[in-house]
Amino acid sequence: MTVKQPMVEERKKRDSSFSLFFQKKNLYKIIGLLAIFVFFLLPVLRLVWLSFVEDGSVTWQYYTEVLGEPATWKTVQNTLIIVAGSTVLALVLGVLFSWIVAYVQLSGKRAMQLFIFLPFIIPSYITTLAWTQFFSASGPVNAVLSWLPGSLEAPNLYSIGGIILLLGISHYPLVYLFTVNVFRKIPRELEEAAATSGLSKKRAFRKVVLPLALPGIASGGLIAFLSNLDNFGIPAFLGTPANIRVLSTYIYEQVVGFGPSAFSRAAVLSVILGVIALLGTVLQWFLLRRSRVNETNRSDSTPRIYLSAGKQKLLEASLWIFLLVTSLMPLITMGALSLISAYGVPFNLENLSLRNYEYVFLTDSKPLSALTNSLQLAFFTMLICLVLGTAMAYLRFKYPDWSTKAAELFMTIPFALPGTVFALCMIFMWLEPVPGWNPGIYGTVWILFIAYVARFFVLQVRGSYTAFLQIDPSMEEAARTSGAAGWVKWRRILLPLLFPGILSGALLVFLMALTELTVSSLLWSSGSETIGVVIFGYEQAGYSTYSTAFSTVLVLGILMGGALFMSVGKLWDRKVLKK
Amino acid sequence: MIKVDNVSKNYGSFTALHSIDLEIGDGEFIAVLGPSGCGKTTLLKLLAGFMGPTEGTISMDDTLLASAKRVLPPEKRNIGMVFQSFALWPHMTVAEHIKFPLSYHPNKIKEGKKELQERINEVLKLVGLNAMADRYPSELSGGQKQRVALARAIAPLPNLLLMDEPLSALDVELRMEMRKEIQKLHRETKASIVFVTHDQGEALAIADKIVVMNQGRIEQIAPPEILYTRPETEFVATFVGKCNLVKGQWQNAGFVPAIDSKNVWPDLGVAESFKGNGIYPVRPEQFQLTAAEQDGVQGIVSFVQYQGHEIHYTVEVGEETWTIHESVFASRFQPGDFVGISLKNAPVQQKSLITR
Repeated sequence: MTVKQPMVEERKKRDSSFSLFFQKKNLYKIIGLLAIFVFFLLPVLRLVWLSFVEDGSVTWQYYTEVLGEPATWKTVQNTLIIVAGSTVLALVLGVLFSWIVAYVQLSGKRAMQLFIFLPFIIPSYITTLAWTQFFSASGPVNAVLSWLPGSLEAPNLYSIGGIILLLGISHYPLVYLFTVNVFRKIPRELEEAAATSGLSKKRAFRKVVLPLALPGIASGGLIAFLSNLDNFGIPAFLGTPANIRVLSTYIYEQVVGFGPSAFSRAAVLSVILGVIALLGTVLQWFLLRRSRVNETNRSDSTPRIYLSAGKQKLLEASLWIFLLVTSLMPLITMGALSLISAYGVPFNLENLSLRNYEYVFLTDSKPLSALTNSLQLAFFTMLICLVLGTAMAYLRFKYPDWSTKAAELFMTIPFALPGTVFALCMIFMWLEPVPGWNPGIYGTVWILFIAYVARFFVLQVRGSYTAFLQIDPSMEEAARTSGAAGWVKWRRILLPLLFPGILSGALLVFLMALTELTVSSLLWSSGSETIGVVIFGYEQAGYSTYSTAFSTVLVLGILMGGALFMSVGKLWDRKVLKK
Repeated sequence: MIKVDNVSKNYGSFTALHSIDLEIGDGEFIAVLGPSGCGKTTLLKLLAGFMGPTEGTISMDDTLLASAKRVLPPEKRNIGMVFQSFALWPHMTVAEHIKFPLSYHPNKIKEGKKELQERINEVLKLVGLNAMADRYPSELSGGQKQRVALARAIAPLPNLLLMDEPLSALDVELRMEMRKEIQKLHRETKASIVFVTHDQGEALAIADKIVVMNQGRIEQIAPPEILYTRPETEFVATFVGKCNLVKGQWQNAGFVPAIDSKNVWPDLGVAESFKGNGIYPVRPEQFQLTAAEQDGVQGIVSFVQYQGHEIHYTVEVGEETWTIHESVFASRFQPGDFVGISLKNAPVQQKSLITR
């Protein structure tokens, strides 16, 4: 055996670079945490600060002013009613679906799952648009109702009930996502042990399954709660025409209303909303800590409840009807109605035309430039998040100490905050990053870019972190004992293994940034409109036919992107990972 | 030669290793044996360089590998490693697994492509995988995966080969076969091997020298036969030899069990540390059962387990419970039978073996 020992001098050099690295490690850590603090946490602190300050002195004036107005309390009341109602709806639908999919023998579960996720990947303002078409005078619901005897009319979506319905339907996939694996991970032996101890199926469900699933259900419910609180598109599209305000739309109105103290009043409202949201986040964090006990269990997706053939068919049929009616039909209606020449005319062959598409893509210049803006923003946001977020996830995975945990917590804040609040934070932070110095970031596309990176960063960190968790640490250790370090190790071993997981995180970032409405509705400026802003603008101006045409193109694009992603993932698994 | 000098490792307030000293000679095959949590995996990770010691130093042939201040990372050490879960890369073929360290290891092949291919073929042949060169891990059986993991580790001819319970993921039949395979590789590569295991049978069968660890400390370092027949601590006696620790008094003539002073047992090679404590470690197969009327310590059989090649008796002796293994050809007893227990007259261990 021939072994070459490194020369003594060479070794000394190498050793000194190591010790230098260890000394510098703490320095890097502090610089990193400082950057994270400035980009993720400081904007929030400045918003809170501004709600207390007038002309450089601390004051309660804005709080007493805003809290003294009956309009504020009416808005808070609306918010609480709508959030409570839609959270209950999302919970009931989400838990019901996850329990059925996890436990009951059904065919076509994979396809069902895709349809459950559909309202989740389509932005909620487009879903709302589709539903308003679905229920409109020329939509299918009214057509069916007019066939029936009596003078039935489609319910009015522009109401508190309508907002609750759409929030619930848009957010039950989140509850489903959180609970389906919790149900699958409850060991069936526990139910069998309950049965041999003499409990009936119903009592076993109540005494064993439900308590074990409760942490998952609760955290799913809290995510739905936060999303309902945060949502801007649905109450803006449905509530504004009916004069129903919730906190997120009220803040928006304050900011675009440009009153003398608009920003400070919006800051006060944001603090109220932020406090409600953060309370939920903290509660969820505690619940997730407790539910970790379950994570070591194996996920068991074979069915536990077998129905008779007839009952199974009936259940499948009713689930499919629900899924098609809630997710696909409104989109198809929207697509169809985008083809009619004018709003309100009946849907028949003479009235079909591509006039709306012609206007949106040829006559009006805004949609195309918005499409370009959003695609660029989404792409570069994805790129930055992909590289830095994956690096952050690696640090978090490799060195799970207080600093990386704190960093992750900071990064969660911009995403957990309601979009209107976060947008306001961005304005306060980047209008004058250092008091007295305006670098001209606000009012350009750059503030949107910074905001998107800060807001969606944590999605990539989580996605990549999950990907790291799924590969055995010995994969990397084997690479190192084989002599591979640095870039070689990443290129040859880690990246090929991580690719599907990292890609799904990146795609989520891309999709969220592409169809984002809330943040951009406050941060856009002339020339930096986004897709969401243009559709919102059409809708506010009453051009429903244009917004449906634009949305239809967008939905088709998203669906094609989704299909592409799934086939790339499958191809990668088969060709590269040889699964 | 690898020298582990006074090495300690703390995780926060928990001490995983307490001042370990160990020398691994060139070409030596060492098994590190101990129950889970004894620190054997920590020791292996320190040798590999995945982490650094809190105190002490590790050196290889006078090159410092690790101290509390600096750690030479694994990719710069002249080592190979076999992992418990094999750690094969799903996106690489068998040949690519072998090529990988040949391209990046400190001992990488610096000559041309031809030499590289020759070496790959040589290693494939050595582990008997010539026909599988282009297969992916998902297309291999458990034993074949193990061979790939071994091939990848030995390909660059490392000075030190580390093995982290490499056989525990295999079924019993395959494990026996792979033991021979590893012995063969050791003979042919002449690398020093550190083989971590919790299976005392595996350690006894395979190693030149066994390091028994418990609670972060080394209990005893000895060749297998010495370790088995002359344990020096209670832990080694019970963990390796499954000994009954019989209490009594050591006198000039021999050992007098406390339970029945009419008996005197001869010294069959008991370590001094036991003599000071008044303990005789007796392995289950050293006992002999006779009918109760015969001489010997009296006891009652409480359980009988038939094992095919021998019979395991559990015998209540006063307050104590002894485990006794008897040949299937000896006379049989039933639970509840009164028995006499005496020591088989095994010869005293040869000096030559001890000083080997």
